[in-house]
Amino acid sequence: MNGAELVLKVLQQQGVDTIFGYPGGAIMPIYDAIYHSTVKHYLCRHEQGGAFSAIGYARASGKVGVCLATSGPGATNLITSLADALLDSVPLVAITGQVSQAVMGSDAFQEVDVLGLSLSVTKHSFMVRNVNDLAATLQEAFRLAQSGRPGPVLVDIPKDIQLAPAVEPEWPEYPAPRIATSLANAAKARQLIADAKKPIAYIGGGVQMADALAQLQTFLAESAMPSVTTLKGMGSVARANPHYLGMLGMHGTQAANLAVQQCDLLICLGARFDDRVTGNLAKFAPDAKVIHVDIDPAEINKVRFADCAFIGDMKQILPAISAPTQCEDWLAHCLQLKQQYGWRYDHPGERIYAPLMLKQLSDRMPDNSVVCCDVGQHQMWVAQHMRFNSPRNHLSSGGLGTMGFGLPAAIGAKLARPQDTVIAVSGDGSFMMNVQELGTIKRFRLPVKIVIVDNQRLGMVKQWQQLFFNERYSETDLSDNPDFVALAAAFAIPGHTITRKDEVESALDAMFTWPGPYLLHVRIDEKDNVWPLVPPGAANEDMLTETN
Amino acid sequence: MQHTLTITTSNEASVVERLLQVTRYRGYQLAGLELTPLTDRAGMQITLKVKSDKPITLLTNQLAKLYDVQQLALASADVAVLRA
Repeated sequence: MNGAELVLKVLQQQGVDTIFGYPGGAIMPIYDAIYHSTVKHYLCRHEQGGAFSAIGYARASGKVGVCLATSGPGATNLITSLADALLDSVPLVAITGQVSQAVMGSDAFQEVDVLGLSLSVTKHSFMVRNVNDLAATLQEAFRLAQSGRPGPVLVDIPKDIQLAPAVEPEWPEYPAPRIATSLANAAKARQLIADAKKPIAYIGGGVQMADALAQLQTFLAESAMPSVTTLKGMGSVARANPHYLGMLGMHGTQAANLAVQQCDLLICLGARFDDRVTGNLAKFAPDAKVIHVDIDPAEINKVRFADCAFIGDMKQILPAISAPTQCEDWLAHCLQLKQQYGWRYDHPGERIYAPLMLKQLSDRMPDNSVVCCDVGQHQMWVAQHMRFNSPRNHLSSGGLGTMGFGLPAAIGAKLARPQDTVIAVSGDGSFMMNVQELGTIKRFRLPVKIVIVDNQRLGMVKQWQQLFFNERYSETDLSDNPDFVALAAAFAIPGHTITRKDEVESALDAMFTWPGPYLLHVRIDEKDNVWPLVPPGAANEDMLTETN
Repeated sequence: MQHTLTITTSNEASVVERLLQVTRYRGYQLAGLELTPLTDRAGMQITLKVKSDKPITLLTNQLAKLYDVQQLALASADVAVLRA
């Protein structure tokens, strides 16, 4: 056995059966080991696409995603995906081939300092210098990727290590990790909740990652308080909960933003006061005391001071801080906000109105469908107008906001959950960023449904140019887009274009009825914008809407 | 304001650049750096002096969670300021 074969052994030992990647010179020994391995490798058409597929796989399944790339350009192509995984706390192990140690540091062919390049976009990066350290390093990478706040870990393996004779080690039994959790502040938190007149729960992606959704529903029911979610927290609150107000922040619902601005106690669960959530930080929830629960100590007091903080296991903390509230008037007020500012879909004209189309998609998609987004206006419309019953069913590049995320993430999600419908909702700009992954869909005959919301613009940038740059539309016109249906056809993927409202329902039905991959090209009016919008520097109650 | 951090790390080759990277990215200016290999075990003791108007805990919280950082302490005068 050589080092490369040992890499595959470790993957099997870690329970990995699906990996994504692209071969090249410095990782050829590992690809040679893949040739006879039971670990299934999915050949992507660009390393960034492969890593996004691994992220989609991880986010849809809760397992660790694994991606491979060769040295030099292969590894540099991973950087964006690693950054995406870091900012969205996705457990990912990236294995890169490196030139042999004998030529390292000599500017050898396809040599780049991957360890140095990757440090700021990973939780940690390893370089293996001795084949005897290889198995333990990979095992440590898997442990680290999943422990505490999950994240990406890179392991750079020189070619000579891959080729060196290796011995299968004893596989140590790792005890289940214990998360240090202090409940010393529990009584204080319960008192804050009991005393609050206008409490609200602000829920991020950390609740799902802590596997604490059941504890969350109980907490919300026992305390009877309204709730809002971040983009990554969407799907955390049971659909039946009447006091859920939707997403908060720059494109959040008016009810969510107004309620948060008016609250006197903000209970932040697995979220991090991101600037897209808070708007003008000094004016965010100005009268609120804060209870902050997170597994990452560095998030406490980073952006907003916490009156009461908990670091550790959400599953233990939520039951410990649960307390009944006496806030019927507040609940009634929030329900009234929700009713007053509900979405309206009575858009004039025959052209397709994207929010309505996405609501129709949401209503028609099978239960437990996974929706993978790209970035831009369509991403915010998905967040506003589609409903999810788990954060694992809404994969959206939140922290990094990476165009090109959606299509490869959908590939990973489909491989993780072949029994569930997977839909990639993309924009005409984002779709072109990783369009080569249509080749992966074709090769593996993956029945991914693709919906392109096409306004022939870089819509979100154009919207900001319209509102804040005096309508100077610099480099946002995409009216020379390719024929998307013909493009899909080149990859043996059938498709259809619709332009009118009355075509939507039958087109969605046709897409879902078709057994294989399908591309639905939806032409919309370029004048449609995302509302509401909190302008830069404004407080969250100062939302721009279509009518103001 | 200047702060002095005493950090015990592993002996990995990338430790120092990682510490300096986080220090720069989080908005702290380097004012001094001293490295001492630990003789009794594989590791280093690093004394890092930094300047910033930001609270020092915003940096120490980020440094403390780095994989290669084993111990991190603020100089006693800094701790006294934090507690004041």
